[in-house]
Amino acid sequence: MTITDSMLSKANAKEIKSVVVMTERLKKLKREWEDADPVVYVDDTLLFTKSWKETDGLPVDLRWAKAFAKRLEECPILLRDDELIVGSLTKFTRGNNVLVAMKPREVLEMAKTGRFDRKLSDISATYIDPEDLKLLIEDAEYWVQHMPTVNYVNEALKEELGEGHFDLMFDRGMVFEGRAVRVDPDRGLFQGWGAFGGGIAQPTMPVIHNGLNHVINLAKAEIDKMVDQGACLPGASAAALRKYYLLKATIVSCEAIIAYAHRYADLARDLALKERNPVRKQELEKIAEVCDWVPGNRPRNYWEAVQSLRFLHLACWKESSERPEVGIGRIDQILYPFYEEDLAQGRLTRQEAGELLGAFWLKIRETENLVTIKREHRAAPGTLLPDVTLCGIDENGRDLTNELSWLVLEVMRQIKLSEPAVYIRWHEGMDEDFMLHALECNRDFGGGNPAFLNDKLGTDRYLARGVKPEDATNWLASGCLGYHLECGEHMAGMFSINQAKIFELTLYNGFDPRTKKQLGLQTGDVTQFTSLEQFYEAFFQQEDYFAEILRKHYFIWWSSENMNSPMSGLRAAMLYEDCIPAGLTSREGGARYPVCRASWIGDRGITDVADDLAAIEHLVFRSNKFTMAELLDAMAANWEGHDDIRQMCLNAPKYGNDDDFVDEIFNRVSLTTQMILTGRPDPFTGEKPMLFKGAAAGHVTQGASVGALPNGRKAGTPLNDAGTSAMPGMDVEGPTALINSATKAPHAWETVGITHNMKFPKAMLTSTAKLENLAALVKIFFARGGWHIQFNIHDSDELLKAKENPEQYKNVLVRVGGYSAYFVDLPPELQDEIIARTLHEVY
Amino acid sequence: MVGPVGLLQVVRGHGVPRVDCKGSSMGEIMGTVFNIQRYSIDDGPGIRSTVFLKGCPLNCKWCSNPESQNRNPEISHRDSLCSKCGICVQVCEAAAITVDEAGVHIDRDRCNVCGKCIDACDREVLELMGRSMTVEEVFSQLQRDTDYYESSGGGVTICGGEALYQPEFTFALLKRCREVGIHTCLDTAGYGTSSALQRILQYTSLVFYDIKHLDARIHRELTGKQNGLIMRNLELIIRSGVPVVIRVPYIPGHNDSKENIEALAKTVSGMSKEAKVNLLPYHRFGMGKYAMLDRRYELAKLLPPSKEDLSKAKEIIESFGLACEVAV
Repeated sequence: MTITDSMLSKANAKEIKSVVVMTERLKKLKREWEDADPVVYVDDTLLFTKSWKETDGLPVDLRWAKAFAKRLEECPILLRDDELIVGSLTKFTRGNNVLVAMKPREVLEMAKTGRFDRKLSDISATYIDPEDLKLLIEDAEYWVQHMPTVNYVNEALKEELGEGHFDLMFDRGMVFEGRAVRVDPDRGLFQGWGAFGGGIAQPTMPVIHNGLNHVINLAKAEIDKMVDQGACLPGASAAALRKYYLLKATIVSCEAIIAYAHRYADLARDLALKERNPVRKQELEKIAEVCDWVPGNRPRNYWEAVQSLRFLHLACWKESSERPEVGIGRIDQILYPFYEEDLAQGRLTRQEAGELLGAFWLKIRETENLVTIKREHRAAPGTLLPDVTLCGIDENGRDLTNELSWLVLEVMRQIKLSEPAVYIRWHEGMDEDFMLHALECNRDFGGGNPAFLNDKLGTDRYLARGVKPEDATNWLASGCLGYHLECGEHMAGMFSINQAKIFELTLYNGFDPRTKKQLGLQTGDVTQFTSLEQFYEAFFQQEDYFAEILRKHYFIWWSSENMNSPMSGLRAAMLYEDCIPAGLTSREGGARYPVCRASWIGDRGITDVADDLAAIEHLVFRSNKFTMAELLDAMAANWEGHDDIRQMCLNAPKYGNDDDFVDEIFNRVSLTTQMILTGRPDPFTGEKPMLFKGAAAGHVTQGASVGALPNGRKAGTPLNDAGTSAMPGMDVEGPTALINSATKAPHAWETVGITHNMKFPKAMLTSTAKLENLAALVKIFFARGGWHIQFNIHDSDELLKAKENPEQYKNVLVRVGGYSAYFVDLPPELQDEIIARTLHEVY
Repeated sequence: MVGPVGLLQVVRGHGVPRVDCKGSSMGEIMGTVFNIQRYSIDDGPGIRSTVFLKGCPLNCKWCSNPESQNRNPEISHRDSLCSKCGICVQVCEAAAITVDEAGVHIDRDRCNVCGKCIDACDREVLELMGRSMTVEEVFSQLQRDTDYYESSGGGVTICGGEALYQPEFTFALLKRCREVGIHTCLDTAGYGTSSALQRILQYTSLVFYDIKHLDARIHRELTGKQNGLIMRNLELIIRSGVPVVIRVPYIPGHNDSKENIEALAKTVSGMSKEAKVNLLPYHRFGMGKYAMLDRRYELAKLLPPSKEDLSKAKEIIESFGLACEVAV
């Protein structure tokens, strides 16, 4: 079925692998970035505030666009020595951008305590110039004074659902988690979620290929049409006016980006005049020529295409400062026509293409965002999620893997930066050499990069929801990790339902021992239960109850958000084919399909619940080791004085070992909750919600509110991490068993993200034969219906930890041909020997 | 002895001990298995599941799997997990257990492997090494990964201990696998009856064959047995046409002399030029497991061989026209 004409000739593959991405130029730029201290950047927020004061009284959509334009047109710009790809979000090598208006109280608190948290690092201190600090405090004080006195989302929630509803929220009972479910969210100007509702824009292929002028012309023509038809004459409907202002905002936003690029062109020309080095002079002249042309027009070559992508990504990032999950998209598809043409014309070498791509990579990484959310409350600490997607099958069954797919992996491997993350759309007919290249890069890179997504499943899920084949096949990875159509937007992260908490409430008849409140239904005293069936019934009843509340919450939240916050012209521009004629952004219904804005519900803790039920069945009902009452006592004491019971609970059968007893419990819990959560249509679109069981760190935040559980977990500790992860250290049967447990039932079907994390020691990937085995493992994972798999390759660090904490690492194996043993069983001197071997492995 | 061991009967004859594995009640063939390792990628091609059988007639000084030697189940203790609570001492009716700062000690003469200490220990310090299993029980585990075998060109490997030490079980299990098209590897040191081997070979796709030393006398010093039977069985395998990889544990000061390597290469190349030779460098990683079984490891001071020595040995073997690899 798959046409595989995409296989790379051996010679070209070899040439790509021999590309030196880290040229002297990029080494120097990377070194400068590494050596630079992170600095808080205030110009952006000051420009926003300035603009907002100037536009008082104008429609909010237009005010938003004008503020965006000012930020681009008046911010300081700079072009670093030796740069090829330009455009910086801040004026610092490592600048932390912040938009005070969105969260003035938190910024003020940070500014006054002098403690600045960055999103991209564990180092919490970021430098700020004393003068800038003064300006920042002034700015924050201004916004605190001018903030609406009430939070419109929460007022609406109170009106519709009552005060008690807040007990379920993030800051209290934590039945629901997410940024849209806070008691006291400290919103600033717009209180739902910045200005953007659920979605987040990103550069799209039509915009890059056709240029922003094309978009501007379409918007102008649409306005002309409205004028001709009298749609925006006085007395016309509010909807027409809103459309008119959105179109105007679109034009303002697009023109601002072009003007910003022209500022770079001017700067490059000025520098070229002064430049003495003839080589650099020529480069600067080239940069000027490139920035004169893109992103306004269709790129004329590969360089311009890369630069255009940079400008548009930066623009989306800038607009979405508080939610910087801006994807990069299908980079191998976006750039390929230009790459191919340039190579054919002899205007570009693979080496040059690799360096330009590397330069782009470095620009992505130089941005850090100052976030005000407290570290422990963050969904995805340590990342800005500029996801890159590679490969994929198109609607004609053609494999779109191309030379650039190879080159992107090579860039990722050599440049060794934690971001962007790369996602490969894997399919059955994937070229074996490409797969080995990808796994080799994964091994050399270390962390789970690239990761693999099931191409067919991704497409089929959209086909099943009525999306046309040409659009259903055009999807990309986003966030951490979901995916969306290119004709839609990334939607994740608004609401999560905390299954482990709901199970805990079930154990206490709906009562929450932590907040001392009756949060759930009274579903019965579990000490009187005589079978597991009663637990299921009680749990699903609670689940159903909370699912309905969540749906109401979602409706109220989104409607008040839509009423009160601006539509973004930039977002309309990125989806111009649909949003311009509709005069609506995706959020309001401008996108091609309703599914583009169907809600995403985070769903966490299913494997924890399965292990809990398994422990109860195994220990209470089958082997009568203790009663349910005794178990509850031990849990209430957080196991203190009940170590025996805890150990039995820990040793009870666990999900992840291909043990049908637990896996059947897991399947039932997972599939039934899936039915409950997707059974209620999203009130805005009538679509089934999509479930999100991604890899973000919500397991840490949600775990904090959950007491001890029957699986042996202690109170407050993290839940199991990703969608199908086993309890840490409890999957002792190896990778095939874990995959089998995760894929016995169709857990992935209704999800927009379900992450399967696996850890592998580097030693298991040291030869081509071993990599081929891993490729075979991936193949079976997908054949069994898995969606997303990623391998974290660990080396000596893991072993050092195991040496210190043998209990948590008792399943770490040491394998030498014909020999196998657990690492923790080795005497210390031999453990050191193994660690040394791991350290010195040469590839 | 009582307990799970009761299912086994030891039969001796012609100096070649073997375990007759007929189950006592059901008439099913039983084997003593101490581990089934899934996603095994060092024991043959592709993704494999390796079945480790317990019991070995040889007694190699450098053995890195001491738990595989004794044909009877035994209890090991993972002292790094031990809280020294002493519950195992209390429940042991045979008074075989003591606990001190270092961890658990079991007097193997007293221990009757009743398993009470294992049940009593919450921390899973104590572990039963070796379980009596039917062919179907083992096979049902193995077939869970059939699709991985197929997609990777892998299969099932049976090793030990010594697979030929439980010939009926090995035969039945490999037959069961091959009947459904699973590729099979026999990993053996060759010390079993030729008739059993001949039968097993019918259902074997690939053999890994250990040779420790060419000199019969030294072989006995190192392993407790002479090598005549082993060399005869090698010839038998080569004649059978089943592909074979010769595995030579390379133990400094024991079997690494130039004479021995030459003799080995000469003998093998005399039988077949097709046979591949793998050198397995000595390592001490089994040491921890000796302590877990309250045994002393004799070669504690012996260090792994140098890369130079290994590549010299490799060159010698290759000079006889044989393909040779040094395992990592």
